[in-house]
Amino acid sequence: MKKHLAALAACVLVLSGCGRGDESEATAPGVTDEACPEAVNKDNGCIYLGVISDLTTGPFKALAVSITDAQKAFWKRVNDNGGIGGYDVDVTKYIRDNHYSPETHNQVYQEIKGKVLALAQSLGSPTTAAVIEDMKTNKVLATPASWTSSWNFEDVILESGAPYCIESMNAVDYAVEAIKPKSVMAVYVPGDYGEDAAEGAKVAAEAHGLSFTGVESPPGQENQGGAIDAIVKAKPDLVILTAGPTDAATVVGQAAARGYKGRFIGTGPTWNPGLIASPAADALKALYWQSAPWLPWQTDTPGHKAMRETLSGVTPNDGYTAGWVWSYPLKAALEKAASNGELTRDGLFKAVKQLTSVDYEGMLENAGNYAGDPNSAVVRSSVIAQPDESAPTKVKVIKEPFVGPTAQDYTLSKPCF
Amino acid sequence: MRVISFAQPGFMLAGAVIVTYLSAEVGFWAAAVLSVLAVSLLALGVERVAIRPMVGRPVFAIAIITLGLDVVIRVVANGFIGLDVRQVGDPWKLDTVSVLGVEVQQRYLAMFAAALLMVAALFLFFRYTRFGLAMRAASFDQEAALAQGVSVSGVFAVSWAMAGGLAAVAGIMFGAGTSIDQNIWIIALKALPAIILGGLDSLAGAVAGGLAIGLFESLVSSYQSDHLPWLGENFATVSPYVLMLAVLLLRPYGLFGTREVERV
Repeated sequence: MKKHLAALAACVLVLSGCGRGDESEATAPGVTDEACPEAVNKDNGCIYLGVISDLTTGPFKALAVSITDAQKAFWKRVNDNGGIGGYDVDVTKYIRDNHYSPETHNQVYQEIKGKVLALAQSLGSPTTAAVIEDMKTNKVLATPASWTSSWNFEDVILESGAPYCIESMNAVDYAVEAIKPKSVMAVYVPGDYGEDAAEGAKVAAEAHGLSFTGVESPPGQENQGGAIDAIVKAKPDLVILTAGPTDAATVVGQAAARGYKGRFIGTGPTWNPGLIASPAADALKALYWQSAPWLPWQTDTPGHKAMRETLSGVTPNDGYTAGWVWSYPLKAALEKAASNGELTRDGLFKAVKQLTSVDYEGMLENAGNYAGDPNSAVVRSSVIAQPDESAPTKVKVIKEPFVGPTAQDYTLSKPCF
Repeated sequence: MRVISFAQPGFMLAGAVIVTYLSAEVGFWAAAVLSVLAVSLLALGVERVAIRPMVGRPVFAIAIITLGLDVVIRVVANGFIGLDVRQVGDPWKLDTVSVLGVEVQQRYLAMFAAALLMVAALFLFFRYTRFGLAMRAASFDQEAALAQGVSVSGVFAVSWAMAGGLAAVAGIMFGAGTSIDQNIWIIALKALPAIILGGLDSLAGAVAGGLAIGLFESLVSSYQSDHLPWLGENFATVSPYVLMLAVLLLRPYGLFGTREVERV
């Protein structure tokens, strides 16, 4: 009996050993020699990238859906052009909804992390924070879907564009040039988005010798009363606004209705094309400018043109622009890893550290330095736009990409907040 | 059934979203009426499919089902919101009118008028109609009502339809002067402190509770940072719940609710 058991155990060990041998021949998690399920190039292998986004019930659903659709289109174009190093890229098989919940984000991340090489999207700061230690341990790279400055200090995050704080510095710098304010108020939503931007506004206000007030305002249109009161009472010359689009419109519209006549500059996510038809439209047209990390949908660059062609038929929205722009660094990293012959997580991580610039096809200039330290690598340019009914995304640029003096001189030695 | 329906935020969102689609075609007022009817029918359907089979089951289980229904309805409504914020196309927008020397936004007056109209209609319905009386009887004692020939199942159906319609009115009025996105349902949560403060079984209590909560939150929002800064920023957001807890400590059945008497 013992002999039989020993023989059985030996067989099991041999068989399991064979199994591991077969697996070790496969390249890496998320990389297969078999073609992708819906391969454009049937002879190519497949690189699987995960997408964890806020697709149904969370607060950023509108933005998340357009970002995700743009990323699907981006990688389809990559595949249409032959793929990367003999592989097509699949970003559709492992799409998961995080409902903007850190617990759910962690759950779906654990579910897909062994099946993907990297994450084409990890939406949300608190959600991504729930898994970032695991990402670092396993060298799972991710493209973020936000502009918080803390991403500039994470090796596994492939950020693009100026972080919120730099954008707000540029917004104040531009306002100083255009309207010469004496007082600045930052109305900001709690958390990394609002607090990062508010810190940038504070730094710029102090640099210009302007008075500064910060007013924290929780999300929700019904919760903006305190911020509106503060604006109407203090009457600052400039309000730097960080909120969701409907909250921003509530603040601008209600403050204007109560007699406020100063200037609002809202960060990129404060705008949504639907606001041009909202009850606050007149106030927005009169008092609001939008700062943004890059040029909008209708811009004439090769990247914008490719995006519009690939996404033909959609209603223009700069959520698409964001999803498209954010995808370039991961494409560059995959190409570098493939050319290094190391299409593995280690190889991809190493490849990122070799990137000193990324070709964004003109959508973003002087960007994509992941080899440098945060201060030398951070993108410092922003654009300023204003509402315009005739523009596809209902905003037109009034200040092309620029770097203000405060952003130019700022030392990013730690996250802004 | 004596169940708090957590599906109301979903019905509220659905009502607002329907108006955003119809108002451009048929005008705001017709869109509002059609939306209320549509959401009432939706609520009726939900009652028949998901709630009716649960009659006689634990109240807790039914409440949990309404939570699930809320998520389902909101996901579907969110799908119709799409990527851009939407507008209900109300006539008031952000226009103001002078009332006794105070500039008041017209939409707030419209909301107040709508609330008064709804409360008056409900009061008259419950007080003077046979079906209203039947609903009160069924609410008090289902078996006794049944023995007196009241169609308790009919009462359930109509109460859900009315709840759906009223939630739609709330969603439409909330959308006046603002924009509709997928997050507006959150304000419906504030109905909870309002009705608990007023007393769960009191219509007048719900009105008083709603006014008290709204007034308290506005006052805290305007003056707390100047006079009680040590409470921290944004205390106004939690103030309705603090007031609810304070009242519950003193009057567990709310300001106007019926005091429960239990034989021990």
